[in-house]
Amino acid sequence: MWNEGCVLLMGCSAPFSLKAFLQMCNLPVRVVCRANAEYMSPSGKVPFIHVGNQVVSELGPIVQFVKAKGHSLSDGLDEVQKAEMKAYMELVNNMLLTAELYLQWCDDVTVEEITHPRYGSPYPWPLNRILAYQKQWEIRRKMKAIGWAGKSLEQVLEDVDQCCQALSQRLGTQPYFFNKQPTELDALVFGHLFTILTTQLTTDELSEKVKNYGNLTAFCRRIEQQYFEGHDKDNSGTAAPRSAKRSLLR
Amino acid sequence: MAAPMELSCWGGDWGLPSLHPESLTVMAYAKFSGAPLTVNTINNSWRTPKGDIPVLISEDIVISQPAKILNFLRKQKYNADYELSAKQGADTLAYIALLEEKLLPALLHTFWVEAENYCSVTKPWFASRIPFPLSLYLPGKMSREALNRILLTKGGPPLYSLSEVEAQIYRDAKECLNLLSKRLGTSQFFFGNTPTTLDAFVFGFLAPVYKVCFPRVQLQEHLKQLPNLCRFCDDILTCYFRLTISGHSPSGQDTADANLQKLTQLVNKESNLIEKMDDNLRKSPQHPPRKLTTLKLAAGGEESPLNRLSP
Repeated sequence: MWNEGCVLLMGCSAPFSLKAFLQMCNLPVRVVCRANAEYMSPSGKVPFIHVGNQVVSELGPIVQFVKAKGHSLSDGLDEVQKAEMKAYMELVNNMLLTAELYLQWCDDVTVEEITHPRYGSPYPWPLNRILAYQKQWEIRRKMKAIGWAGKSLEQVLEDVDQCCQALSQRLGTQPYFFNKQPTELDALVFGHLFTILTTQLTTDELSEKVKNYGNLTAFCRRIEQQYFEGHDKDNSGTAAPRSAKRSLLR
Repeated sequence: MAAPMELSCWGGDWGLPSLHPESLTVMAYAKFSGAPLTVNTINNSWRTPKGDIPVLISEDIVISQPAKILNFLRKQKYNADYELSAKQGADTLAYIALLEEKLLPALLHTFWVEAENYCSVTKPWFASRIPFPLSLYLPGKMSREALNRILLTKGGPPLYSLSEVEAQIYRDAKECLNLLSKRLGTSQFFFGNTPTTLDAFVFGFLAPVYKVCFPRVQLQEHLKQLPNLCRFCDDILTCYFRLTISGHSPSGQDTADANLQKLTQLVNKESNLIEKMDDNLRKSPQHPPRKLTTLKLAAGGEESPLNRLSP
């Protein structure tokens, strides 16, 4: 039985990407939430999966692990298409993920009102404040190193718009990015877009940027319907209330 | 469009107009789109308004990052992507992200972090172009920033030591080169026969790896196994940058003569050295003209050892 452990941080897209990916591979998965999931994970990052006596964390290594077990979504692609898929996955990581982190940790309003309380909620005072500030300092250091510290919120939103435009143009009118079959790229994009569309933040600007592209929202809805609707009843009690709150179809 | 545009960037060597990937990208894009850019090689990154390089100055406007500079040029109607479809434009963004995530860390490492490379090539080269006393400080600062960037973006569990991080980033870079090679295939540029933004970025990142002579060259060796990427860089250099050893614009025979002359001088020096070391060689039938013929046939391969011997 595959167990997935994750901390349902506001705006954390990886659990959704991973769940979509595993559903697409037709692998049964049970989602379990733990406050100390970050510490249980071998790499310190969530989500991670626990299969038998093996623990694998982060989307990249999990995809490799699943491939080694004989399940892969990108076998039908030729070399050039695989190169393209990897390039688009990097685009999503580079732009969308960084933008999500920026919004969560570098935008002062969001940080004060949403991120700090959410991140520190499982812990008593003063641990909640200390851990939140530590994480914030870590993320801001990283932003500075890659040159995002100097960006204003408008510039970040513009970057997100550019990325969504590229994804929208690539998707076109097809059901999935590589036409008929979903691939890892579809799972990754779904995770990010779903998070952006369903996360409550101080402003709606980020989700508005995504909503501008009709084919992207249709894509998310389609994947949610196909892979998540029927599987809700398989989830454990702790996970169901949270995932029931997030839905694009309300 | 009529306003003069000036680009300030680091200078070049080893047949490249600049050693800095971002500067090369902007220069290549300007050549592809026909933008009239005056290039100033600077020797001090603190002289630029924001401390970033490259910097484009047009009248009173100062723009500093490659993506923004390219946007500005496009708005001035110097657009190399005019004939691309929407999907190709999207592909461009995706491949540029791939370059930045997978290739750039290894590039930074080869230039600035790998101890042998940094101490014997990068630091002296930059130090010789930066005025004292900044030459004592700036290269070190650039090296620290590169290491910082690599560790913050790629380091962290489960990679616990610098050597594990290094192994991972070189693996990623080699995979990236393979992917680029597969994507390029046999065409001249990434989107057909005219170069575009993506070609500028790929050239900017690949050319320094390809041309600069470092002691530790695992990335260069991997690149040399991908002949279509090497041909891609060489084509852009000869068609758009027209730099030769002598630095003049070539005009067929003149170039060949100038190259031949320089080669002759270098060969003579080398043979003098050998004669001093070994009497037997003087008696052997190998005298300069014949050696020159051999060299002329294998001019490409022989250049690097000769360059190493030249002062």
